[in-house]
Amino acid sequence: MGAADAWILAAIPAAAFLFMAVAGRGLPRQGDYLGVLAIGASFVLFFFVLQDFLSGGSVPVVQDIPWTQIGDFELRMGIFVDQITIVMIAVVSFVALMVNVFSIGYMKGEARYYWYFAVLQIFAASMLMLVMADNLLLLYVAWELVGVSSFLLIGFFWEKRSATEAAKKAFITTRIGDVGLLIGILLLWDATGTFNIQEIIHAVEAGEIGDTRLFVTMAFVFLGAMGKSAQFPFHVWLPDAMEGPTPVSALIHAATMVVAGVYLVARLLPIFELAGGMMLIITIVGLTTALLSGFMAITQTDIKKVLAYSTIGQLGFMFVALGSGEVGAAMFHLMTHAFFKALLFLAAGSVILGTHHNQEMAKLGGLWRKMPITATTFAIGSLALAGAFPLAGFWSKDEILLATQGWSGGWVTILLGFAAVMTAFYTTRLFIRTFLGSPRDKEVYDHARETPLTMTIPLMLLAALAIVSGFVVFQGVGDALGFPGGFPEFVYELTPHKFEIDWGLAAGSTAIFVTGTSFGFWMYWRGRLDRSTAVAEWQPGLYRLIDRKFFIDELYQATIDRVLLGFSYVVSWFDRYVVNDTGVDGSAQMTGYAGYLLKFIQTGRVPNYAMGIALGVLVLAGIALAAGG
Amino acid sequence: MVPLENYLVLSAVMFSLGVYGVLARRNAVLILMSVELMLNAVSLNFIAYAVYLDPERITGVVFAIFVITIAAAEVGLALAIIINVYRNRSTANVDEVATMRW
Repeated sequence: MGAADAWILAAIPAAAFLFMAVAGRGLPRQGDYLGVLAIGASFVLFFFVLQDFLSGGSVPVVQDIPWTQIGDFELRMGIFVDQITIVMIAVVSFVALMVNVFSIGYMKGEARYYWYFAVLQIFAASMLMLVMADNLLLLYVAWELVGVSSFLLIGFFWEKRSATEAAKKAFITTRIGDVGLLIGILLLWDATGTFNIQEIIHAVEAGEIGDTRLFVTMAFVFLGAMGKSAQFPFHVWLPDAMEGPTPVSALIHAATMVVAGVYLVARLLPIFELAGGMMLIITIVGLTTALLSGFMAITQTDIKKVLAYSTIGQLGFMFVALGSGEVGAAMFHLMTHAFFKALLFLAAGSVILGTHHNQEMAKLGGLWRKMPITATTFAIGSLALAGAFPLAGFWSKDEILLATQGWSGGWVTILLGFAAVMTAFYTTRLFIRTFLGSPRDKEVYDHARETPLTMTIPLMLLAALAIVSGFVVFQGVGDALGFPGGFPEFVYELTPHKFEIDWGLAAGSTAIFVTGTSFGFWMYWRGRLDRSTAVAEWQPGLYRLIDRKFFIDELYQATIDRVLLGFSYVVSWFDRYVVNDTGVDGSAQMTGYAGYLLKFIQTGRVPNYAMGIALGVLVLAGIALAAGG
Repeated sequence: MVPLENYLVLSAVMFSLGVYGVLARRNAVLILMSVELMLNAVSLNFIAYAVYLDPERITGVVFAIFVITIAAAEVGLALAIIINVYRNRSTANVDEVATMRW
């Protein structure tokens, strides 16, 4: 099996979805092992694809078939496998496999167990299709499919009203961006006459689209990426999406689906670079998101919410890297982040299950004694997220900080560094308040227990990757693994950049980690809250602003109430009084009234009718005479 | 030969008398007779034209025969209705048979 057959990787989970959705309920164990088998098969087959791809000298592999012919326009559908796709497939199939295994323990005994695993399969299939698509139309189809699976899984516990509300919010918010993406795709098609991504890139590089038009088009495309990747101001759906089962949060809302926006921008970066000003916009959006989410994560008390804001922030980091033109750094951080954030979410899921569905930090604390494996792996994930040397997050964050140095003035680097300090701070806070100190709720603590092996083994595997996956950045490691030149060169050969440790930056980055972490320890050591309470009381206005997440949700709510409901009121008034009363009822009443008036000529007397006929004939005869002259 | 105009005038007079009868009479049988008068006036018109304008063919004559046939059928039907009305209401005055009104 070669790289040209990579579509099979997506076809296997898709077939598994169809089978499990129809027959899963009747199978023993409701068919959960089928999910593991399907994703596992895709993951194993991935290595054949990788082998073939590398032996072909890392040349992009294209495979397509004619799909339909409309007039002169021939639509072809197919796959395009290059370095970015390889990285994405590796991340998606591996994390999906881990999440499938973890879910067997986590979802045990839940209602609709088979359906949960079935939807995981359709998600994996559509995500793999998304990263392999060689044309924007297929990409858009997969884009919407992952959106639907996300909707289904966020609202999986639909008996809870908050879950259905969150699913709706996620779907509608991303949909706003998706409309932008669709408009962008159609504009690109209109200008170049093709949906094929490579052909579009060539056409744009040949200057087939005017500057203004290209800018507008790419702004629309970027809207789609912002919605999917929860960038400010579309970030509001991701924290609410935590209503879904925790393994889903790990897979969809941390490691894979939310990075679809990063993938899209990375894929189309040659075009974005030509669309004057778009790179600056991408950087600013990413930077704003990283900073705001850092603040918002600080006051959250729900484990998963902290991780959700952290995810938003790390996606912001990736966009900053993309905006700085460094696909390699963005994809590198995407990969390491997928591993350590999936680890953190799954470990959080382990905490939630181990404490009988408790995810409020106020009731946790001291759990490391009860759940040593979870606590250790969570600590590794936290260190990687905070950027501790030499874990994965350290290297990828360094790459991004290095990438930002292209911006003159250093303001991007400084602000992003500040966001990194906050990351380290709230990660420390999260870890201390969950695992260290004394138990805050004795009952929760007494009933806490370590989770079964199906859940801890994925944690340990991901923890191992969270430690070592950063080393692929080194040329030697890359060569040994078969990626010539290490990760940055492998991913983006157009601007090869040989990795060397920048000691100044590494020192700065470590300073960032130490500052954030020690500040976190100073404030929350042993789970005490008096210092943080003092800060909150010292600046009540600021605390309230951050605690209420900058009132962005309230702003949206007010906008919806005013604008949308106001407009709806006008429309409903028009419908009720103009369309219904005047149009529908009015015409009926007019007919009725005309009938009322005309009925009086129905006298029932034959001579009257005879007179009518006679007069009619006379009138017609008169007209005929006058016309005939 | 009698000029065509004479026939036409006779036909017109007969037709007008028929119209007058239909409008002025109140007895259903008399109205029916007036209708017959109108039909005969039309038949006369057809035959006169047929003979004067196109004596070679018999188109107009055929029309006249059709009119007579239909008139006979119509009279049969109408008289049956009138007899039924008379049985039910003991009158043939059309002014008194006016229940099909608003």
